[in-house]
Amino acid sequence: MIELRDVTKVFPGGTQAVDGITLVVHEGEFCVLLGPSGCGKTTTLKMINRLVPLTSGTITVGGRDIQKLRATELRRRIGYAIQEIGLFPHMTVAQNIATVPRLLGWRKAKRRARVRELLGLLGLTPVDEFLRRYPAELSGGQRQRVGVARALGADPAILLMDEPFGAIDPITRERLQDEFLRIQREIRKTVVFVTHDIHEAIKLGDKIALMKEGRLIQHATPSQLLAQPADDFVRGFVGTDRTLKALRLTSVREIMDSGPLSVRDDDSLAAARRAMDRLERSFLPVVGEDGLFLGWVGRNSVLGPPSVCVGDRITPYAVLGSPDMPLNEALALMLESATGNLPVTDEDRRLVGLVSFDRLFESLRQIYVEREAGEGSP
Amino acid sequence: MRRNMILFLLLAGLLALTVWTTSLGRVGFFTMAPPAKLLAALREHLEIVLLAELCAVAAGIPIGLILSRRSFRRGAPILSAVTSIAQTVPTLALVGIFSILMGLGLRSAIVALGVYTLLPIVRNTYAGLVSADPAVKEAARGMGMSTPQILWRVEMPLAMPLIMAGIRTSTVLNVGSAAVAGMIGAGGLGEIIMTGVSLRLVEMVLQGAAPTAALAISLDRLLEIVAGRAVPRGLRRPLRREDFGRT
Ligand SMILES: Nc1ncnc2c1ncn2[C@@H]1O[C@H](COP(=O)(O)OP(=O)(O)OP(=O)(O)O)[C@@H](O)[C@H]1O
Ligand SMILES: [Mg+2]
Repeated sequence: MIELRDVTKVFPGGTQAVDGITLVVHEGEFCVLLGPSGCGKTTTLKMINRLVPLTSGTITVGGRDIQKLRATELRRRIGYAIQEIGLFPHMTVAQNIATVPRLLGWRKAKRRARVRELLGLLGLTPVDEFLRRYPAELSGGQRQRVGVARALGADPAILLMDEPFGAIDPITRERLQDEFLRIQREIRKTVVFVTHDIHEAIKLGDKIALMKEGRLIQHATPSQLLAQPADDFVRGFVGTDRTLKALRLTSVREIMDSGPLSVRDDDSLAAARRAMDRLERSFLPVVGEDGLFLGWVGRNSVLGPPSVCVGDRITPYAVLGSPDMPLNEALALMLESATGNLPVTDEDRRLVGLVSFDRLFESLRQIYVEREAGEGSP
Repeated sequence: MRRNMILFLLLAGLLALTVWTTSLGRVGFFTMAPPAKLLAALREHLEIVLLAELCAVAAGIPIGLILSRRSFRRGAPILSAVTSIAQTVPTLALVGIFSILMGLGLRSAIVALGVYTLLPIVRNTYAGLVSADPAVKEAARGMGMSTPQILWRVEMPLAMPLIMAGIRTSTVLNVGSAAVAGMIGAGGLGEIIMTGVSLRLVEMVLQGAAPTAALAISLDRLLEIVAGRAVPRGLRRPLRREDFGRT
């Protein structure tokens, strides 16, 4: 747990970078420090590992006042990753990652095992190949991964990250974020993560601490922040498309119609017609004997002799969703393919659910209702 | 490869010149330095250069290091002032001053040369240490390295290419300047050159100058190889012109 109480920082020049911040980050929580450039995010972060000395206030880490610990000892217990990465160019990837373990005096065999484990965890495979490389021999994304691996080196309970994915292309960044989320679910670190990207904050954070000019404006979960912005600054910062952003917080699994009504490819057209009449639908998904999703049949295509099977009249599908897809992506897919329904399949392409436009609309309305309720009360 | 070839040809030429001038034996009234004397002079020369270089390294690296520390950074402008002034003082004058202060002979020659060739090392050590990527230093600090650990494990290795370049520059400078040491009776190839000059005998000047140049070239190449090994692998790259400073 990290606790900041009335923390301020005034730089020697007189700049008040941080102005009375009180913030608690619980064990295993992913807290994002968000705010416009120059609002004091980095300064706040660096005060936690004492790279920047406090002007006033107290910070405790794991219940202990950081001023009472030796700075080097404190820092060895806290993982630290920065946007510029700062890998040691004269050391191999393995030596870089083993930096803190070495400072802590781990034995060689233990260090080596840890390095291998981390390379595997961050997808830097083949491990034997990457161990030996020098930073100059890595791509930007790979360097960023090594930077994160190095921060995790001695398995610290706390991780401080300052825009660690800031300097890479959007696609790689997205992938690294996804991977980091997966890793975080596994390792459950207490993370303080700095970014000025609202999307990144919503995607990664359990909590978001929104800052402005050195002050904490709102500290809330991403959905609270989107649904109930504390003031105009927050409203402006999260953007007018905050409803769309909120869609990102819900996964397809949560709203999909599971065990959807479907017909088999070896059913007769007559059976399909009857099913449509009974269900009052003009489209039905078609699955094979093994449950694999094959496509759609519409009312127009099931007209014909009863001896013909549905399998012969299938309209192939254009897009597929997956249960873990956030709603904003599902909506984009539906808009793109101009269909009112999105089939949801598992990794083996078995049909597991259906998202209809109506369902999606329903959940959008939910967000509105929440927001109205939030803004109505002070 | 091509560079090696050129160096080799150059060395071969200089050596041929040395052998030829020595083989002349007598020119007019004068006797050229016999082979044994030439070899002795070469050995002396090498001794002077190595000892002076040792002094320069032993003093230069710590001075550069101290100047690069935050609390001494204010001394850096003084350093560059001293550097440029000292470089305008002719070697001859410097050697002369030291011979007056410390007497004629080998010792004052070595000290004078050491001081003269100190500057490239100080400057490059300083430059190498202050130019280290701040993000790398911040990462080192943020991970809990102590100040000495940052210096020895991060800053010094990172400064190594520049420090080695400084040592090379200073060594080459040393070989040439050591010729002047002959003037204050320290021996070396300078003595042969000086004698040649006073006798107005070009052949004898060449007899001393050619092996001096050959020595400079060989030492530079040798140090390049040594430097290649001293520089950490991840940092190896072809040196750029500016790495050698303005000398
Ligand atoms: N070492 C320093 N000395 C003086 N002022 C500083 C120092 N570091 C930061 N500041 C000032 O403190 C304020 C907050 O800086 P900080 O780096 O914390 O901002 P930030 O929120 O991280 O911004 P960004 O998103 O651009 O990284 C700025 O006005 C900055 O100029
Ligand atoms: Mg910052």
